[in-house]
Amino acid sequence: MHLGFLDRWPAVVVEGSQRALVIADLHFGIESDLAAHGVHIPSQSRARLERVKECIRAAEADLLVLLGDVKHQVPGTSRQEFREIPHIFQELREMVDLRVAPGNHDGGIGRFLKDGELLPVRGALIDGIGYLHGHTYPAPDLPGHPLVIGHHHPMVSLRDEVGCALRTAALLLAPASTPCLRQGDGGEAPATKVLVMPAFNELSGIDLLELRARNLGPLSRCMDFDAAEVYLTDGTYLGTAGSLRPE
Amino acid sequence: MGPISGPPAPSGPNDVLRLLDPRIRGSVDRRGWTILSDAQEQAIPLLLEGKHLILIAPTGTGKTESAMLPVFHQLLREDGRGFRALYVTPLRSLNRDILARMEWWCGVLGLRAGVRHGDTPQSERRKQVLHPPDLLITTPESLQALFMGKRLRKHLAGVRHVIVDEIHELAGSKRGAQLSVALERLTRYAGEFQRVGLSATVGNPQEIARFLCSDRPCSVVEIPVTPFLEIGVRYAGEEFRGQARAVGDCLDRFPSSLVFVNTRVTAEALGHQLFERGDVEVHHGSLSKEVRIDAEERFKRGEIRALIATSSMELGIDIGHVEHVIQFGSPREVARLVQRVGRAGHRLHAVSRGTIIATGFDDLLEALVITRMAKANQVEDVVPHRNAADVLANQVAALAVEYGEITRAQVRGILERTSCFAGTGSLLDDVIAQMASHRLIRVEGDLIIRTLRARKYLAGNLSMIHDERKIGVFDIVSRRYVATLDESFVVGWVHTGAVFIAKGQLWRVLEISAERLVVEPAKRVEGEIPSWEGEQIPVPLAVAREVGALRRTRRFGDYPADPGGIAYAGQFLSRMDRIEAPIPHDLRVTVEGSDEGVVVNLCAGHKANEAIARALSVLLSARYGTTVGIEVGAYRFLLRLPTTIGVLEVKDLLVSLDPSHLEGILSLALKRTALFKWKLVQVAKKFGAIDPDADYERFSLHRLIDLFEGTVIAREAYRELFTDYMDVEGAAGVLRDLQGGGVEVVTARLSPLGSEGIFSSRDLIPPPVPDQAVLGTLRNRLEKEEVILCCLHCHQWKSRVPVARVEERPQCPKCSARLIAALKPWEEDLCAIPRKKQKTEEEKAIHARMRKNANIVLSSGRKAVIALAAKGVGPEAASRILATMTEGDAFYREILKAERNYVRTHRFWQ
Repeated sequence: MHLGFLDRWPAVVVEGSQRALVIADLHFGIESDLAAHGVHIPSQSRARLERVKECIRAAEADLLVLLGDVKHQVPGTSRQEFREIPHIFQELREMVDLRVAPGNHDGGIGRFLKDGELLPVRGALIDGIGYLHGHTYPAPDLPGHPLVIGHHHPMVSLRDEVGCALRTAALLLAPASTPCLRQGDGGEAPATKVLVMPAFNELSGIDLLELRARNLGPLSRCMDFDAAEVYLTDGTYLGTAGSLRPE
Repeated sequence: MGPISGPPAPSGPNDVLRLLDPRIRGSVDRRGWTILSDAQEQAIPLLLEGKHLILIAPTGTGKTESAMLPVFHQLLREDGRGFRALYVTPLRSLNRDILARMEWWCGVLGLRAGVRHGDTPQSERRKQVLHPPDLLITTPESLQALFMGKRLRKHLAGVRHVIVDEIHELAGSKRGAQLSVALERLTRYAGEFQRVGLSATVGNPQEIARFLCSDRPCSVVEIPVTPFLEIGVRYAGEEFRGQARAVGDCLDRFPSSLVFVNTRVTAEALGHQLFERGDVEVHHGSLSKEVRIDAEERFKRGEIRALIATSSMELGIDIGHVEHVIQFGSPREVARLVQRVGRAGHRLHAVSRGTIIATGFDDLLEALVITRMAKANQVEDVVPHRNAADVLANQVAALAVEYGEITRAQVRGILERTSCFAGTGSLLDDVIAQMASHRLIRVEGDLIIRTLRARKYLAGNLSMIHDERKIGVFDIVSRRYVATLDESFVVGWVHTGAVFIAKGQLWRVLEISAERLVVEPAKRVEGEIPSWEGEQIPVPLAVAREVGALRRTRRFGDYPADPGGIAYAGQFLSRMDRIEAPIPHDLRVTVEGSDEGVVVNLCAGHKANEAIARALSVLLSARYGTTVGIEVGAYRFLLRLPTTIGVLEVKDLLVSLDPSHLEGILSLALKRTALFKWKLVQVAKKFGAIDPDADYERFSLHRLIDLFEGTVIAREAYRELFTDYMDVEGAAGVLRDLQGGGVEVVTARLSPLGSEGIFSSRDLIPPPVPDQAVLGTLRNRLEKEEVILCCLHCHQWKSRVPVARVEERPQCPKCSARLIAALKPWEEDLCAIPRKKQKTEEEKAIHARMRKNANIVLSSGRKAVIALAAKGVGPEAASRILATMTEGDAFYREILKAERNYVRTHRFWQ
C-alpha cells in the first residue's frame, strides 16, 4: 500500500488495487455562509472544482474518495448548494468513480448521489483502508486498519529566525487508541494509525496549536495529537506535533 | 479655464463695508468691529461679485465672516425656497463658537440657521424637512445623507452658496474626494452655485482651488501668516519629567496657552505630570463630550490656563484669544506648525507666539528645521487623492440609492466633472463590475440599479472615515485585559500562534474571537507582529534632508535654538566623533550592525525610507529564503535579519538596487505583509465586500484576503499605500544619489545615533519560499532526535543520546575505538547482535549493515550521525547524502530530499 503526495495540492493518492484520490472538506457553498456573516465574495465553486479535476488528472485516479463536508450549510441545503452540487458531482462522475463519506455538514447529500456512491457515516473499508469523515466513531470493523479522515482542517505555521514564514495545510499521521475507537471494548491492541487530511477548501484551516484544545468529536479524543507526525503536502516531514510546539 | 489668483486692489475698509447691505453694516457696528481684516477686505468684494473663491488666512482674522457676510448679503437680496446656503465643516465636534456667531447673524438679519450632523436629534431633523432653514450647517457625511430623502432633495434645489471650511484638511483626503462628488451631485438639483473654500496655509493654493471648483474659474485670496509668527525651540532634556517641567515654565509666562501633543497617551501623561498645578486640563477625542465641553468652557472663562490637546480639529471652540501655543515634540510637518501656532493671537496683526519643546536629538533638529521653514513660508503641498476606487464605489452606491436607477453615462458625467475623478476611464467600469459581484448594485445593460444591500451598506458607510473597532487583548495567565488592537489589523494579520509586543511584553495568540484576543505571555522572540501607532504624521523628505545637512554642518546658531539646545546638539555629535562613529547626514548613509539586525541611517523621511526598507526586505527575503522584519522611522530603518546576513550584504544591495525597478519590487514587497492586509480589509469594507458588523471568527481571513488578489479592491489598496505610506519618487531619487557617488555609504557598528530609533511602523516580510523555516525546523528536529550509539569494536558500550550531544568524532569511552554505529532508538536491541558467536543469516545481514553504518560514522563523524538520524535514512541513503560533499544549508537540503523520497516510496502505514 503506497501513498502518493500531490505536491501543491492538499490531496493524496492511495495506490492499492486501484488508484484512489482522497480529498477532504471541500465545503462547497461556503460563500453563502460568509455572506450571512458579512463577508461578500462571489462563488469560488468553479475554480475549486477545477482544482479537484486537476488533482484527478495529476493522480491518474480511478476512484475519487471525498471524505465529507462536501457541502457547507448545516443544517439543510442552501440555494447555492442546490444549484451547484448536482453539477459538481456530475462533472466528477464523468471523470472517475465517486465515493462520498458524509460529514457533519452533509445532511441530505444522498439525494445528489447515485446508488453505491454514498458510504456509511461511520465509514467503510476500501482495499483494507478505512475512510470516514471523522466526526463520529468509526464503524466496528474499521479500528485496527489504517484510517483516513478529514474534519480537522490541520494547518501548520513555520518559523525562521526572524518570524513566521509560512502558514499552510498539513497532513497528520496520528496514533489512535484502538480500544478507545472500539468505544471501550477492552483488550490490548496495537494503535490504529490515522491519517488526517487537510481541508481542500481554500478558506478553511485550524492551526495545530489549536487542534488539541478543540473538541472535534469522539474519534478526535482517541487520537494522540502530540505524537502525530506532521507532513507538508509535498511529503516534507516536519516532526511530531509535540516537537513543533513553541517552548 | 483655470483658476485665477490674486486679490483686487482694496479700495479701503470703509468702501468695502459700504458694498454690504445696510442691515449687515449696522450689525458690524454692533459687533464692535471698526476696521476689517485684510482677509475681509480682499474677499468680500470678490464674493459679492458672485465669484468662486479660496480664502487662505490664519484663524482669528475673521475668516468665517469674510465668507458669510457676502453670503448673507446675497441671501437678503435673493428670493428662494429650501436650503439656500450650505456651510460644510469637517470638524468632528462642530465649532460651537462659529455656530453661535452664525446664529447671531441670522437672528439679527431675519434669516434662519440650522445644524445637521450625526448627533442632531430626530425632532430637529424633522423640523428641517418641514421648514428648511436658509443656512444649513453640516458635515460632509450628513451632506451625503441629504441626497437620500425625497423632500430633502427638493430643498437642495434652492442652494445658491456652498462654503467649505477647513478645506485644506479635506482636499488631501478621501473624505474630500467624496465631498467633491457630492458637490457635483448637488448641481443636478440646484444648478451652478457659488463655491467658497476657507483654508489654512498650504504650499499649493491652486490645487485647493482646483479641488473645490474643478475647471471652473476660481479666485484665490491668500493672507500670509508667517510674518506674524514668532516661534522658538527649547530643548527640554531626554527625561519626561524635565520636559513636563519645561512645559510648566512656559505656561507660567502667559495667561492662556494651548499645548499640542502628538498622541493621546502623551496627552494623558503630560496632564498627569502637570495635574498639581490645578490650571491645566486634557482634551482629546477619547474623552466624553461632556468632559470636553466642560474643559473648553472653563478655558474660555479663564478658570484654567491651558488645554492639552491632540488635535486642533477636535476643539469645539474658537481659540483665537490664546496667547501662546506650545508644541510638545516636533510637529513633524511645517503646515501643522503654522496652523497650530497660527491659532494664537487674537487681535488683527498681533503676533502669534509659539514654542516647540524638543525632546531628543532627532526631535530637536527636526523642530529647528521645521521652524525655519515655517518662517520662510515653505509649507508642504496638499496632494489630493485622484481616482480612489473605494470613493468611486461609495458614490456609485449612493447614486444608485438616490436615483433608484441611473445610467452609466450619467454616473460618469457626474464623477468626471470633479478634479478628483476627471479622466477616470475604465476604472469606473471595473468598480461597477466589482460592486455587481458583491450584489451592491445590479447592472442591466447601461442601467445601474440599486439593491437592498446598497441601502444597508450606505447606512454604515456614509463616511469614508474608517470605523475601527477595538479588540481587547486578554491574558489568560493573569486573567485581565492588557491592551487593545485595531480590528482591521487583527483581522488582516493576527493568527493563532503569532507573537507580538504590547505594553513592553511578548504575547502569543491562543484564540481569536470577534470580541477579544486570548493570549499568553511568550518567552522567546519568534518574530514580532507589526504595529502602527495610530496614524502618525510622516516627516517629509525635505525636512529630513535638511536635518541631515544640519548634522553635517553643525550650524545650530543659524536656527532659532536656545543655548541649552545648541550645547546639547553639539555634545551629542562630539560623542559620536570621540568613539569614531561616522555621522550619518545628507551626504552620508551609514549601515550599522547590531544584535537585532542591520540599521540603515538614512535621512530621507518616513515615506521614502518605508519604500527603500520594503524593497530591500523583499529582495533579502527572496535571496536568502528567510523572513525579514522591518521597522521604519524618518532618519533610519531597522532590518531584522538572521545572524547570517550582515552589513555588507545590506550595503551591497542598497548600492545596486535599480531605482527604475523600485515600483515593481514594491508591489511584490507588499504582498503577504501586515500593512497590505490591514489596508485591504479597510478598502474591502468601503467596497461593501465586508460588512461593518462582519463576524470574522468563523473563517481564516488570511486566505480570504488572497481572494481579493487582482481585483480593483487590491489595486486601490496598493494605490493608497503608494500614495500615503511610501514615496517611490523620493526613494528613487535617494538611490540615484547613492549610486551616483554624491552620497557615500559606509558600514559601521551600531552607533548612538543608530540606536536613537523610535520607529513608527513595523512589519514582517515573509519569503517567497520558506526555505530557512523548513531547514531550521529540520535542523532543530534532528538535533533533538535520540540515537543509539554502539561500539562495534569492543561490543561493550552502548549509549542513548540526543544528536546534539554527539561529539564531532564519536569515540567509545571503553576502548577508545571510533567504530561506532548510530542507530535509531527502536533498533536498540540490535546492539546485542554483533557480539553473538552464532548468528543466523538474518543476523549476519544486520551485522553487515551495522558495520556499514559505523564506517560512515568513522569517516564523516557527526555529520554522518545527523544524516542517520533522519527519517527513513539508513546507511545507503546516508552514504549518498555524504557523497554530495555539501555543507550547511545545502547539506540539510540533501537530507530533506532523502526524507521526502523515503516518505514517497515507503509503505506508509507500516
